[in-house]
Amino acid sequence: MGLFETAAAKALASSGVFLFMTVLLIAAAKRTSTCIALFSVQSLVITAQIVAASGMHHLREGFAIAALVLIVKVIAIPYALHRIVEELKVPRDVSSSTSSSQSVFIAAGLILLSFFAVRPYAGVLGGDQAMLAASVALVLTGGFLMISRKKALMQVVGLLVLDNGIFLAALTTTFGMPLVIEIGIVFDLLMGVFLMGLFVFRIRDTFNHADVSKMRRLRG
Amino acid sequence: MTLAMNVVQVLLLILMAPLVRGVIARLKARIQNRRGASVWRPYSDLLKLFRKEDLVPPSASFVFRLAPIVVFTATLVVAAFVPLLHGSALLNATGDFVLLVYLLALGRFFLMLGAMDGGSSFGGMGASREALVSTLAEAPFLLALMSVAIAAHTSSIAGMVRWTMGQNFFQFSAVHALAFVAMALVSIAETGRMPVDNPTTHLELTMIHEAMVLEYSGPSLALIEWASGIKLTVVMALLIALFAPWGMASSLSPLAIAIASLVLLLKMTALVVALALVESSVAKLRMYLVPDFLGVASALAILAVVFTALMR
Amino acid sequence: MTQVLFSSFLVAMLSVPVLTLISCRWAKARALPAVLLMGSLAVGIAVATTALYGGQKFVIDVSQVASFSFALSVDRLSAFFLLLICSVSLPVILFSSSYIPRHYSGARRHWLWAVLPLFLMSMVVVVTASTLFAFLFGWELMTLFSAGLILIDGDSEERRHSIFVYLLMMHAGAAAVIGAFLLFLPHAGNFAEMRASATSMPPTLRTAVFLLAFVGFGTKAGIVPLHLWLPRAHPIAPSPVSALMSGVMLKTAIYGFVRFAFDFLGGGPSWWGYLVLLAGCVSGLLGVLYAIAEHDLKRLLAYHSVENIGIIYLGLGAALVFAANHSPVWAALALTAALLHCLNHAIFKSLLFLGAGAISDAAQTVDLEELGGLLKRMPLTGTAFLIACCSIVGLPLFNGFVSEWLTFRSFLAGSEMSNFSAAIILPLAAGVLALIGGLAAACFAKVYGVAFLGRPRSREAASANEVPLPMQAGMGALAAACVAIGVFPGLVLRSLGKLTAELLPGAELPQAATSLSGILPWIALSALVLVASIAALKRTKRLTATWACGLSGLNERMQYTSTAFSKPLRKVFSQVYKADRTVEVVPDGTPYFPVSISYRSVRTTSFERSLYRPGVDAIVAAANRLRQLQTGNIQIYLLYIFAALIALLVFMRFV
Repeated sequence: MGLFETAAAKALASSGVFLFMTVLLIAAAKRTSTCIALFSVQSLVITAQIVAASGMHHLREGFAIAALVLIVKVIAIPYALHRIVEELKVPRDVSSSTSSSQSVFIAAGLILLSFFAVRPYAGVLGGDQAMLAASVALVLTGGFLMISRKKALMQVVGLLVLDNGIFLAALTTTFGMPLVIEIGIVFDLLMGVFLMGLFVFRIRDTFNHADVSKMRRLRG
Repeated sequence: MTLAMNVVQVLLLILMAPLVRGVIARLKARIQNRRGASVWRPYSDLLKLFRKEDLVPPSASFVFRLAPIVVFTATLVVAAFVPLLHGSALLNATGDFVLLVYLLALGRFFLMLGAMDGGSSFGGMGASREALVSTLAEAPFLLALMSVAIAAHTSSIAGMVRWTMGQNFFQFSAVHALAFVAMALVSIAETGRMPVDNPTTHLELTMIHEAMVLEYSGPSLALIEWASGIKLTVVMALLIALFAPWGMASSLSPLAIAIASLVLLLKMTALVVALALVESSVAKLRMYLVPDFLGVASALAILAVVFTALMR
Repeated sequence: MTQVLFSSFLVAMLSVPVLTLISCRWAKARALPAVLLMGSLAVGIAVATTALYGGQKFVIDVSQVASFSFALSVDRLSAFFLLLICSVSLPVILFSSSYIPRHYSGARRHWLWAVLPLFLMSMVVVVTASTLFAFLFGWELMTLFSAGLILIDGDSEERRHSIFVYLLMMHAGAAAVIGAFLLFLPHAGNFAEMRASATSMPPTLRTAVFLLAFVGFGTKAGIVPLHLWLPRAHPIAPSPVSALMSGVMLKTAIYGFVRFAFDFLGGGPSWWGYLVLLAGCVSGLLGVLYAIAEHDLKRLLAYHSVENIGIIYLGLGAALVFAANHSPVWAALALTAALLHCLNHAIFKSLLFLGAGAISDAAQTVDLEELGGLLKRMPLTGTAFLIACCSIVGLPLFNGFVSEWLTFRSFLAGSEMSNFSAAIILPLAAGVLALIGGLAAACFAKVYGVAFLGRPRSREAASANEVPLPMQAGMGALAAACVAIGVFPGLVLRSLGKLTAELLPGAELPQAATSLSGILPWIALSALVLVASIAALKRTKRLTATWACGLSGLNERMQYTSTAFSKPLRKVFSQVYKADRTVEVVPDGTPYFPVSISYRSVRTTSFERSLYRPGVDAIVAAANRLRQLQTGNIQIYLLYIFAALIALLVFMRFV
């Protein structure tokens, strides 16, 4: 086995833990910009994973997907979000309804839960158990972030983490979806982020804040 | 021969400690656009303090003068646990991680008592805050060490280090990353660095360790300062030895030792630079946010233990 | 030979109250009861040591002469607890020989000297009983005698309520214990038969026995949430009695639990172990958290008993889990840890309570807020108390560390098991134990710092004097034991190894257990040399005023108090306390200069509120309804008897 294969295998085996780490750190982070940076790191881990997996299975298509993810999720979306944060000029903290250590404990609990949830299927699917658990954990913590964070922008970040989870699940169970669909989803997401960014601005301009928990008059 | 080497390791840790502090202070000064004192300054500080007399408050009992000695001794014994240049330590098979954590607790307990013996409110304040921080730091510290112990199938620090040395970098379990981050966070709290405690402050609103040692002077203060320097160095050496021991000598040949010393120097420098950067770039946490900080460390440590147990 | 020794021990113990009552009018015989009692306890130590180290079993069976089956026998497990009772009581009695005459005179003194030996005797009967009858006889007497000893300090409304709660809970616990015994019927006569019949019991019945024993002995041991009586009953007893109750009496419950779970039932499914672990975690954490918030020294110590029982249960739980997963070697390690912690806790907790007694003797109060600077006035008491604090916190070179270390070691060994849940849960329990240890350290830094260090906070504390020599000697002996076991754990570990090998077939203490006894003496020696040489360095010392920011007029009120010290921790763990705070401000025109401000903070533990209150209310409501039966009219009562008679006759006809 050459150096690349060893490194790739190791990267695949350990990337689950690195993903958990990013999730925990996002839960612990107090500033929106930190969360965005961590999301970017998380996407980078996934990119590395795609590259490693494609290298192992000799799939050309995989490299294309990796490049796409790298450009969109590691660079473009985080950059756009950073710009939004700067332009918005609202307080930088994520204003969570749980303290950061509580959030980390909840995230840790969700990770453990996902681990136990996927245990029965790990053998059937033949996939790496840690990876499958990581994807479920990403989905769960993404949801948790959207529930507990009050800033509209953090809901975008939560959605992105959630999407990373779905993407990862697809990757681990059936090595990815066809390239075309993959591209479609990624651009969908990109559009979604820009739309939500626009909305955040509109919310700020209309209500003078971007705090979702204060918008209670939406009921009919 | 091994014994001699192990004694040399302990001596090196003890004698290096003031230098590490000096370098950190100097680096921080540079980062903050100051010139800063010489890196040898802590040595002359210690020398000067040792020559002075002990000032003792009227309310103090023998505990006040005993505390610095106990702190120093406990830290010294801890220094004998940690491999520095090659994969063994003075307390080799029996240098247990629980013993290490509790020896540090012994020193801290006496330091708190010494602080309260002064009879001023500063001492009590420092001790009370230290009690909060150390209480919450103990569990993640122990769990992080335990996750490595589980992976290495041994409870002795030197044994864990030897196990890690036997792993090649790529096979090294990624779970260690979790344990490492937890340990690093705890180390910050344990050694009283930013953002948990500010070692340079003398403002009663912000200080923890400095409030405890406010009544101390002369040789007693020197012992405490030296001990906290040794503690910092030992914790750094522990981080290096447990999570990145590669480059340590596996035989006692002069060449291997020379290479190991060089590698150690590099790793220490890297850690010191990282610490200086962190300390100059973050603000001190409000005291009631410290539990949050340590809560993060605890969650990471718990996950580290669970994953090591799962992936074994 | 030992048989004779054992019988003479029992006779000597029983003779003490008789002789006390006979000699009570004779002024010269004042020291007699204490001397006699200490002599017989020394015999008891000899008996227990030969049985524990030599492994001889001996039996005293009066079933042949009496019509009921009453037999005492000493095997290794009994011998260990017998040793614990006798060796810890001896220094406590030495302390009392001076404490009791100083505080009690006349009839009350004689009462104490008559009931104390009976109390000790009842505990001896509990741990050596080998028949159902003997065990329950000792068990009930133990409760009654201890209640009698608490009553000595008068019976105000509050004290009577506390003793009522104590007796009530003890009886509920005893009911569960009796239930556990009765499930062995028809083999419940003596222990050997019970042991033999347990193997053929159906699993559900075994589980029922285990649960009843868990609840029954748990009530006596004071595990959360069955601990309510403990912080009420322990603080109001005279200090030596508190020492015996906390240090020794609680251990009889551990004895009973070990006897049932390991000796009779021989372990069970894993979930038994998890249940015990959970009880240990909850008791340990809540015990120490409640303790931190206290500033009444004796109540604080009582809560610490809850904590330490929790630590013991952690060891027991781990042992059960190991036994269920077929690793008797590690089960032996965990069980050794638990039993050793029993002994250690007995030693340091008695010492702490004796220290509290010495403080109340010298400063007339055990309220931490009124104390301070006692170490300078009471050097020996202070030093012994410091050693006890270090032990209970589990610092190395003191005995508490050894047993906590063994517990940690067995948790680490848990990760080696093939059973996944055990491999995860046991290592995580180590985190809980570490948290408990950290909190205990904070608590005792507070206790020692506030009571013994700094400046005195009241006139009484400022004029405190060292206690008399026998009291010092009693505390000194216990302190020496703390250090001896802390530095040379091998002294006890070897015999404990034999004991666990007897309880868990095929188990031998693993190598890991002995590694600590190899290193601790060396660490102690080098630490001693280091400390001595640094202390010997010539250091000039000058007395100066405490730093007061350059201002003058620093006084003792400016020191941190016990309440202030624990504030950060109480704030962080505020969820546990749920304090009811009321601040009453009486305003005077402007809001800035109120006439008076009063602040009250009431802490009822959340268990009381949410667990016991509804139960108590339901019982009271039911009782009120039943009260309608009681009309007070004698004819109605006769009617009840008549109706019962008729009903029985009809019932018998149909059976």
